[in-house]
Amino acid sequence: MEKTRSVDFGALTLKDALDLATLVEEEAKDRYEELGDQMEIHHNPEAATFFRWMRRIESKHEDQLAMRRAELFGTAPRTVRREMIFDIEAPEYDEARAAMTVREALGAALRSEEKAFAFFDAAVSQVRDAAVRALFEELRADEAEHQRLVQAEIDKLPPDPLVRADDEGDEPVAQ
Amino acid sequence: MSDLVIGMAGSGGDGIVSAGESLISSAAYEGYYAMMTKSFGSQVRGGESSCRVRLSTERVLNPGGTLDVAVALNWEDFLRFGAELPVSGSTVVIYESKTGVAPDKIPLVGVAPLEVFAVPIGDMAKQAAGSDKAKNTVVLGLISGWFGIPRAGILRGLAKKFARKGEELVKANEKAFELGEAFAREHPLATPRTLDPPTAGQGSKMLTDGNDMCAAASVVAGCEFFGGYPITPSTEIMQFYTREIWKYGGAVIQAEDEIAGVGAALGASFAGTKSMTATSGPGMSLKTEILGLATIAEIPLVVVNVQRGGPSTGLPTKPEQSDLFQAAFSAHGDVLRPVLAPTSVGDTFAVTVAAFNIAEHFQTPVILLSDQEVAQRKEVVDLIDTSRFEIEERRRPNATELENYARFRLTEDGISPISHPGMKGGNYQGAGIEHNEQGNPTASGKIHEKMNEKRFKKLQPLKHRKDLFRVEGNPNAPLALVSWGSIAGVAEEAYGRARAEGLDVKLMVPWLVYPIAEEVFRDFFASVKSGLVVESSYQGQFYRLLRMFTDVPGCVRSFCRSGANPIQPREIVTALRAAAVDLQHNVHQVASQD
Amino acid sequence: MTTSPTLPTFQAKDFKSDLKPIWCPGCGDFGVVQAIYRALSAVGRPPHEIAFVSGIGCSSRIPGYTTAYGFNSVHGRALPIAQGIKLANPDLLVLVAGGDGDGFSIGGGHVPHAIRRNMDLTYIVMDNQIYGLTKGQLSPTSPKGLKTVTSEYGSLEEAVNPLLYVLAYGANFVAQGTPADMAGLADIIERAIRYPGFSFVNVQSPCVTFGEEEQQVKAHRANMKTLASVGHDATSRIAAMDLAQQYGRTLHTGVFYENPTPPTTMDGLVRERQQAQVGEAKPRARVLERFIQK
Repeated sequence: MEKTRSVDFGALTLKDALDLATLVEEEAKDRYEELGDQMEIHHNPEAATFFRWMRRIESKHEDQLAMRRAELFGTAPRTVRREMIFDIEAPEYDEARAAMTVREALGAALRSEEKAFAFFDAAVSQVRDAAVRALFEELRADEAEHQRLVQAEIDKLPPDPLVRADDEGDEPVAQ
Repeated sequence: MSDLVIGMAGSGGDGIVSAGESLISSAAYEGYYAMMTKSFGSQVRGGESSCRVRLSTERVLNPGGTLDVAVALNWEDFLRFGAELPVSGSTVVIYESKTGVAPDKIPLVGVAPLEVFAVPIGDMAKQAAGSDKAKNTVVLGLISGWFGIPRAGILRGLAKKFARKGEELVKANEKAFELGEAFAREHPLATPRTLDPPTAGQGSKMLTDGNDMCAAASVVAGCEFFGGYPITPSTEIMQFYTREIWKYGGAVIQAEDEIAGVGAALGASFAGTKSMTATSGPGMSLKTEILGLATIAEIPLVVVNVQRGGPSTGLPTKPEQSDLFQAAFSAHGDVLRPVLAPTSVGDTFAVTVAAFNIAEHFQTPVILLSDQEVAQRKEVVDLIDTSRFEIEERRRPNATELENYARFRLTEDGISPISHPGMKGGNYQGAGIEHNEQGNPTASGKIHEKMNEKRFKKLQPLKHRKDLFRVEGNPNAPLALVSWGSIAGVAEEAYGRARAEGLDVKLMVPWLVYPIAEEVFRDFFASVKSGLVVESSYQGQFYRLLRMFTDVPGCVRSFCRSGANPIQPREIVTALRAAAVDLQHNVHQVASQD
Repeated sequence: MTTSPTLPTFQAKDFKSDLKPIWCPGCGDFGVVQAIYRALSAVGRPPHEIAFVSGIGCSSRIPGYTTAYGFNSVHGRALPIAQGIKLANPDLLVLVAGGDGDGFSIGGGHVPHAIRRNMDLTYIVMDNQIYGLTKGQLSPTSPKGLKTVTSEYGSLEEAVNPLLYVLAYGANFVAQGTPADMAGLADIIERAIRYPGFSFVNVQSPCVTFGEEEQQVKAHRANMKTLASVGHDATSRIAAMDLAQQYGRTLHTGVFYENPTPPTTMDGLVRERQQAQVGEAKPRARVLERFIQK
């Protein structure tokens, strides 16, 4: 599936690349916020807490990239916009389940980092600008590091219990 | 003579209804008041048909009782209409001599008409026009000749009617008319009867029917959208729209079904346009779910139900007042929905304007409960000064209200400013699901209770609208006559006769039939010891509605019967007389039905 | 309205309301509403000029998650209401949405008529082959043999084929998408909105709670075939109908049919008629004059 629309990687400038990267983090942040809300509405506070924690991390990444962009390019207008990207680092909606465990939520986060890695990896081969390539290589390395961190979190967790909320919880309610 | 009731029957091909139309339009032209009702067999074309035309120098309240003049082009067809064309000892009977029935053998059992004329109507038509198809024109000549109805108006109407078919046909019809007149001259009535000249001048009257009047009034009220589905006897309203509404920048949609018709109308109103639909009983049943949506989403909408006999397909071409319960109650959930009923072609205008004003002011669906009689009978009525009507617009949010807009804001009077798509800052979610003030869905019982209260509270002022009730007579009268819808015209005539007889009776005709205005009726019934609630349904639905919401004095009883069985003024007078006698003897019957 | 490709008048987030969806986590409809935000941002009309009508069902909650004027009406009646809105104010952008039950069962009778009237509106059906809101009963698009709580031993009825229906009814724009391809879905919806006339988008939007495993987004991602990849000619209704017969077996995404010469819409014709007749308008107060016998 295509992850971007109207982005010409060959012609990408450093400013555009920083903006694009910032938006990727923003998209992930917004998605984690939504997932946190979904979990809260469906009374899954553990998963909600985890997704909101992820939201804070992505928000920090977004801020860091935005700051770099501001230092280099000030308030020069953006030419890439959020509508051009589709679920690059944001977990797919399909990853969520009402009764998901924290381990499963971490799995969703891990796959998101893998997606982001794959995105920057593919982008690196398409960009021509050396500074952009350096940025994307750096971001690719970041995503690899994030994968490692998430995996470490998963490894810390005890295995999911045999009995799940899906099995024991109430039936869905007709509306 | 100030009043003449003519009844005519024949086969569809005889054009007897067309003759009635010629009569009533000439009456309108001359400045008479008049009323015409039609009745048909169930064939779409060529079945038996009949009409009644009542001409008068005074305002006509109802189609009249027994006929002054009965015209039978063929006895079989005439007899099919039974009680709709009652002949009595004061009736002049005119019939086609070709039927072979001797004047002293006419098939009216137990009745000796005043005079009977066997006329070679068909032969005269043939002589004039070369075909017996001009029979109806011969009849016009006979009636004009015998009863002094001005010939100029009739001839003018015939000339207009046949103008596009050529001079020759106009001449032939004139000839047929004159042959009829000549026959009348040569065979004068034993007891001559001549209609008095009209009291008003030419061009002072309108000739129309309830459906057209409703449609015209809706245009004056600012309606610009109609969504509906053809159904007898309401379709003429939609037809009016398809001819007229484009020029006012409006639109009409003949929908795929009744539900889509009211759905489109509701959508148009949601979009900010005054909107309506019209139907009859079966259509009302189908529209019910969307009406509930209009109530909870607080969207103005006028829904016309031209009642016919029910349930189900019932009697599609006959009037009845049996959809009142449906109008008031057919809804799931707690719903209060105003229901207004016109009583005549003339007041249909004002009642329709009131329906739109109420719908817009209170942001509610309003049911305009007409009936086949009001909707389809032709009436000659006085001109209406449309400028005296105030037209209300829905309360829209101002700039301040749009700043922190809440579509369903709980206001003191329960009415919240309503925005519509296109209005910046007014964005909201309309919904059939219960919602909070912002319009967002909720399952909270507390909010549901508050919103129910809002939707009921906002309509309460309606019950104090004295202009939606007509009360006449001595305020302290012990006898009461209550009636609504088309039958109220019969009750009003009975009221006049009863008063003339010296009965102390007062009259109440509500245009607002639901919600029941408790105080208005409490005041009205305060002096009442006995009386009648007159209506055209088997159950007496208004009577029962009154008893549900007010204290109806025990001796006031229901006077009702199923549709298509016309109630006559004299029956009501007789019942009132009996009630008065009972009162004198202080004999109180306990009102009970079933 | 002028829009610049770099500085859009409205961003996708401008169409997102503060209301939090109550859909089950994992529901396909989350992706659909995202795609709608993006399509609307591309089209560039302000939220207050958009009317978004729906019926009843999980998916019919969707207008509330946008900042447009929404109308979450009653079951199956979104299309008639939307048509009334459009005729009353043709300047509005009118969207209609609902589920497969809303559009092809209880409201099925309205679809052919909406299509033959060809008003400029976009109808998005979120097709999940099940009744989710009422807990997993058969829907009109449930495959024959499906076991549900109302088909304990398997359904005995053939499924409705929404694509084939609307193509046969004469729709001039027919497409199918899935939230498994967000970019593709946003594109399809944008094209549908821009199409001048009635446009239909069937979205295979899985029910995560009652749907079958092979109907979920993961399966879509593995099995879907874009119409571009099969070399489909979207200007041919016959070719579209041919492919549409594979509904329920192959998940084709993209535009099945787009009439390259769009006929005038009914709202357009209504406008023409109004303009042609407006000169004849007498003041409303004089509407009764026609009844005077002179």
